[in-house]
Amino acid sequence: MLFWVKTAALFLIRSKRTSVVLTLMVISAVSCLIFLSSLAMGVNDAMIRNSVGLFSGHISGYNIPSNISNKDLSVKGVANVLKRVQLPGFIHVKNKMEMITLIGIDPAQELKSSAFWKKTIKGRFIQEGTNELFISESLSKRLGAVCGDIISFSQQARLEHGFLKKEFVVVGIYKTGISQLDTGISFCDIGTLENKQSVWDAAIFLQDGVDIDMILQEYRNKNLDHNNFKTWKQLMPDLEQLISLNYFSMTIVIIVVFIIVSLGITSAFSIFILKSIREYGIMKVMGMTSKETVFLLCWEVFLLNIVASALGIIVGVLVVLIFQTIGIDLSAYTSHNQYFIVSGVVYPRLTIYSVWLPPLSALLFSLPAAIWPAIMVSRKNAAQILRGA
Amino acid sequence: MINTKNISKTYPSGRGVVNALCNVSFSTPKGATLAIAGKSGSGKTTLLNCLGGLEQPDTGEINCFGIDIHALSKKQLSHFQRQHMGFVFQFGNLLSFLTVEENIAFPLMLNKVLNKKEIKKRISSLLEKVGLSELSSVLPNELSGGEMQRIAFARAISHSPKMLIADEPTANLDTETANKLVQLMFSLAKEENCSIILSTHDQDLIKLADQAIYLFDGRDATNG
Repeated sequence: MLFWVKTAALFLIRSKRTSVVLTLMVISAVSCLIFLSSLAMGVNDAMIRNSVGLFSGHISGYNIPSNISNKDLSVKGVANVLKRVQLPGFIHVKNKMEMITLIGIDPAQELKSSAFWKKTIKGRFIQEGTNELFISESLSKRLGAVCGDIISFSQQARLEHGFLKKEFVVVGIYKTGISQLDTGISFCDIGTLENKQSVWDAAIFLQDGVDIDMILQEYRNKNLDHNNFKTWKQLMPDLEQLISLNYFSMTIVIIVVFIIVSLGITSAFSIFILKSIREYGIMKVMGMTSKETVFLLCWEVFLLNIVASALGIIVGVLVVLIFQTIGIDLSAYTSHNQYFIVSGVVYPRLTIYSVWLPPLSALLFSLPAAIWPAIMVSRKNAAQILRGA
Repeated sequence: MINTKNISKTYPSGRGVVNALCNVSFSTPKGATLAIAGKSGSGKTTLLNCLGGLEQPDTGEINCFGIDIHALSKKQLSHFQRQHMGFVFQFGNLLSFLTVEENIAFPLMLNKVLNKKEIKKRISSLLEKVGLSELSSVLPNELSGGEMQRIAFARAISHSPKMLIADEPTANLDTETANKLVQLMFSLAKEENCSIILSTHDQDLIKLADQAIYLFDGRDATNG
């Protein structure tokens, strides 16, 4: 066997130009497909990151009893748990009143994990330990409030005794483009509301690549009521569907690209083999059997593919790593898309499948390419080959 | 002994069926030299191809050293060729991707009879005999026509075959180079006790052979 492997290797090495062209073809096919599939992963990641990173986190916790702390929810795989409390009420300013839900947040932690504060259009985000208020643009327009205005908040429409009444200074106005965040809510420091609430909400952010179901299982193991937690898939079924659609369409694109590339590879290999048919005729004259002919051809295709695929993987992975570092800014095409609300930068992501499937498929498509010429060479007698060559 | 009995071969062509060989019979003893002479298109190459098992005659029998080669299966014929036959063609037909020594080693590697050391020894001995020791690591495209034919000959006898088939081996060489090659072939074949069957136009070469047959339109015209 070693003799045939060596002969196949010499055949490839000494057919320099043809081998280089074929190698380049396989390298570009494999690396392009690695990049394409990584880009598809990156687009999906960006949509999830944007959607969960804006406010809700990967898991949203509701009505969590106050005896459970955010530390209890910080199991292995959780990057951060943001504590939020909700207080429905009314805000009054300049004789105008609006019904809202005031959300108490920890500004420092929000700055670390969520991104809605990045959507500030006027003023700044609230600071810890202050009576500052962060309101949406639509609310500011309805109330005619601007940064610096003092706003009163109460749980009753009338400002009566016995109910919480607080005064806040508007420090920032935001606009996310998501109606649930842009209407009916305002943000203040959790310290101003916390003592009044018996339950709290959580935005749970996971570390990259952590299985969401594993975290839910952890909570179940801790006897936490699973009804209190909802994943982003439950909260945003449209996003989940969009991601499935994206996978489906990208898979079709990749398959189509691959079929075209594979046909190219198959044809190139067939031409490569047929171009050298005289050499096989000479070897046949010397007593090479049909089985040995097929064996030699398959080794040639296999060796070329192994080398070219390895180089293709290196090139593909390097390109992905470069773009993983610098990112691909698609903001110009995503600025009005709610799934790219925070950032339009996509970071391609490698997966085991994106690295191994393209070279494996290249090999699977190339080997049959060797079969037809091999059958032709073995069927023709040596005299025919030498006469026809 | 090589025996042929009533070999006939026809080819379909655009102008109808061509009778390439018609009832050709001859026999030649082991170690002898047989020249097949005739004009272009007389059937010399077809006869050599049939003798070498490269083509199947339509009728007739070819018996090489007691074996009817066309009764063998494809695999058996390949094994017979690799063990007992050597071929030299008009244009050398060296494997372009192998160096001179790798070309000579090819039949030896196919036969798996000698070990690496013995193969090396055999190659250097053959290269010395054909006077091209210094070209062992050269690729065929760097060789002249005469050098190529000498290497093709060295390759053809490297595995000590019983029979060497040479199709107009001197046709593309100048007279001096051709004479040298013929002398080398005949002397080395005698040394290796190998029968030579060659086709040629060259009258001097025909005279040097132990035996000659003349073909005319595919028929044996030796006595005609």
